[in-house]
Amino acid sequence: METIFWILSVITVLGAIFAITLRNLIHCVLSLILFFLGIAGHYFLMHADFIGAVQILIYIGAVAVLMLFAIMLTRHVTGDEGPREVLGGKWWAGMGTAVIIAGLLWAIIRKDALAQLLPVGAAETSVVEIGKALVADWVVPFEAMAVLLTAALIGAVVIALEEVIRKR
Amino acid sequence: MDHAALQHLAQQQWLIPLFPLVAAAIQSLLPRGQRKLSAGLCIVAMGASCILAVRAFLATLGTEHHEVERAFFNFTWFQFGNTHLDMGLLLDPLTAGMAVMVAFVGFWIFVNATGYMAEDDNFTRFFCFQSLFAASMLGLVVSNNLLLLYICWELVGLCSYLLIGFWYFKPAAAAAMKKAFITTRIGDVGFFLGILMLYWKTGTLNLYTADHTGALEQAGALAHLAGWWGLSAASTIAFLLFIGALGKSAQFPLHVWLPDAMEGPTPVSALIHAATMVAAGVFMVGRMFPLFTAEPGNWVMDFVMWVGCFTAVFSATIAVAQFDIKRVLAYSTCSQLGFMVMALGAGSLAAGQFHLLTHAFFKALLFLGSGCVIIGTHHEQDMRKMGGLKKYMPITFWCYLIGMLALCGVPPFAGFFSKDEVLLETFRRSKVAWGLATFAAFLTAFYMTRQMFMVFAGKWRGGQPDHGHGHADHDTPDDHGSGHHGGEPHEVSWNMWLPLVVLSAFAIGLGFFSQQYGQYLGVEGGEAPEGKALVMGSSVAVGALGILLGWLIYGRRTMEHATEEDPLSASLGVLFTVLNRKWYIDELYEVTIIRFTAVCGVFLRLFDKLVVDGILHAIAWSFWGVSQLFRWLGDEFFINGGFDSSCESVRLGGKTLAKLQSGRVQNYFRVLSLGAAILLLIYFFT
Amino acid sequence: MNIPLDHYLMLSAFLFAIGLCGALSRKNAIIVLIGIEIMFNAGILNLIAFWHYKYFTSVTAQMFAIFAISIAAAESAIGLALVIAVYRHYKSVDVDEMASLKG
Repeated sequence: METIFWILSVITVLGAIFAITLRNLIHCVLSLILFFLGIAGHYFLMHADFIGAVQILIYIGAVAVLMLFAIMLTRHVTGDEGPREVLGGKWWAGMGTAVIIAGLLWAIIRKDALAQLLPVGAAETSVVEIGKALVADWVVPFEAMAVLLTAALIGAVVIALEEVIRKR
Repeated sequence: MDHAALQHLAQQQWLIPLFPLVAAAIQSLLPRGQRKLSAGLCIVAMGASCILAVRAFLATLGTEHHEVERAFFNFTWFQFGNTHLDMGLLLDPLTAGMAVMVAFVGFWIFVNATGYMAEDDNFTRFFCFQSLFAASMLGLVVSNNLLLLYICWELVGLCSYLLIGFWYFKPAAAAAMKKAFITTRIGDVGFFLGILMLYWKTGTLNLYTADHTGALEQAGALAHLAGWWGLSAASTIAFLLFIGALGKSAQFPLHVWLPDAMEGPTPVSALIHAATMVAAGVFMVGRMFPLFTAEPGNWVMDFVMWVGCFTAVFSATIAVAQFDIKRVLAYSTCSQLGFMVMALGAGSLAAGQFHLLTHAFFKALLFLGSGCVIIGTHHEQDMRKMGGLKKYMPITFWCYLIGMLALCGVPPFAGFFSKDEVLLETFRRSKVAWGLATFAAFLTAFYMTRQMFMVFAGKWRGGQPDHGHGHADHDTPDDHGSGHHGGEPHEVSWNMWLPLVVLSAFAIGLGFFSQQYGQYLGVEGGEAPEGKALVMGSSVAVGALGILLGWLIYGRRTMEHATEEDPLSASLGVLFTVLNRKWYIDELYEVTIIRFTAVCGVFLRLFDKLVVDGILHAIAWSFWGVSQLFRWLGDEFFINGGFDSSCESVRLGGKTLAKLQSGRVQNYFRVLSLGAAILLLIYFFT
Repeated sequence: MNIPLDHYLMLSAFLFAIGLCGALSRKNAIIVLIGIEIMFNAGILNLIAFWHYKYFTSVTAQMFAIFAISIAAAESAIGLALVIAVYRHYKSVDVDEMASLKG
């Protein structure tokens, strides 16, 4: 079992790394999809079936596609592949910060006793229970989420709407 | 009158000078046009002073014995620590007589002045100064304290200065006022030294005090203290005080200012330079007489007598050769003051003071008469251009004649009695001095007769065409224009001849009181019987001789033309010129003293400019330098620089911090994650 | 399976760092959004890991994860819409150019 973990981890990490370092934006998104797949794999490994399914459906199915659409809409008409410079100004600042954070988190996690936990048993929850919880205990956040998604939908449409209509 | 009432009056003596002082103060605020008000105020004030003075005088008359009734009132002026300066008022026979004389004569002179100054623009200013002068003179007379006397002394000097230079826009008047002030100031140095020495030796400046420690009461004690020049302290002080009298009473060698003082208006000459101010010197010597006589046989008294004698003769010789009507009278005043001083020097207080009183009346009369003549002849002052005024101005003529006879010592006029007393006392002291004084009396009679004939007899020489405008040194500012100068003379208005009449009465009648005056002053009445007849006879004789000679030369054949040569100059030749030019004393002073003073002035000015100013400039520059240093160091460098750099640093800090606001979201995100990293660090290490 | 929790935690931390790195360093706005997505996923992975190892009986963590995912999706939609709108104005997606809030 551990091997599956390690393989999945490698896939995930590589996907993430390539997602942020590749020059071609489409390649970045494709790498991101790989990353999402790796995460979904991890979810399945941890017996969080529903979450894994949701991950694939939403992230890969919606978010990644949305990103592709955005890339296509924001390309230069001349067919340029994007800005030459990959890295922004003072890129080392960000990189350094990230490294520091990573290092600190590693140190913190290492020390913690909690981290030595081992899995105790299989998950008892199932999709049925999730469904029930959503409409019983968690109905308010569920409805709020619905409102939020509606608002996000409307907002995105409004923001991205062509301004041509107004000029007339 | 009992002593308590006299004491009460003595306390009120300050009222006598108060009225003219208040009048002067009010008049200084009046506008120029208020002539009637100003003159009225002045005359009323003088009248009030006169009444008060007469009241005080009557109070002192009630003495039955030869003891002198004297009341005084001293008060502290101001005090510092243990010493205090006093002022005092005195009421005694000498004071009372002088006060009445000053107030009475002053009153009539003011009345005359309303006529004399009628056409002058500065009418109110004149009366303001005259009132101030009257107040000062009365203050001088009633003072029991040498400091108060000195203050009033200086004040009369000031008023004399202001009034001599009343027409200050005339250069001659401006020069004369300065000369008067400076010359009397030289005398005042001696006076002040005398005051200092008196205060030093006696510790007080009050003349008479309640516990008999007054300066004059200590005269006897002072006579035993040692002074300077081999004299006792009393005589030294007396000598120094007499130097002040030399200046004020125009004795030789400080007589030079008095003739020039005739530049002032004639009422000024009458009041100040005939009756009162010049008499102040004589009065002061009389007041301080106990100091003079304290040490028997001292040479100060002889000195005084000889100075007086010399001045009397000297001035009389000059008066013989003068052509200005007022100059003759000025030199005559000088000469008569010499008589008074001589009498005092001979040891007789009564003779000197009595001659002072009578002289005041008839000399004021003569000056006022000359003022009437001047006004009547339309501001003519040269006697050669007058003549025959007897028929034009009869009242003036008769009054003037009375005055002239009084001055010449013709009996029974006042001058005869007083001059006779003077000559008698001098005869007792020194025959030589008496001889010279008699010669002076002869000259007096001569020049006065000369004046009378030149002015009033003969025919009017004023309208002659070839005399041109000979007013080289007598131009008055309110010239009537050339047409007037040849006009016919006329009699003056009533407010000008009324004072003449009043004063004439006194000039006639005052002389009969000579014996009473001696007793009144408390002087022993015993007189030496020998010599009296000789003196009296000789004085009458020389008077008659002088008049006769005058008539011979000037009366028998009067001058025909104004340009005619004076008959006397034909006989005397060069001597006449010398006499006319005042023995060239002024020129002598000019060459020696004035030049010397001018040279000193140049040196001192140079010293002032180089040394004193140099030091001042050095100090100022050093201060400036220090302040510049402070300015640069403190202000520029630290304060300005510090402030500027702090502002600059804030600006630079702001500019740097503004870079955080780049508007770039990614940058904000970076800062955010940096902050998170720091928090994690803190969490990790604590 | 004997993988301790800390492996998952460290993986999640590492992924988070990578995502942060990408968000801070790249010039392209879309890459920034990609980096943010990576960070989100790292967080949710962390969450699920804790659920699996300790709170496996409760449904709360899964709820949390569901909501987090849906919010992340909404956020990315809005973000991309904004990028499109900004692109219309600036004609580029370079974050360094979008500095009109400067100062």
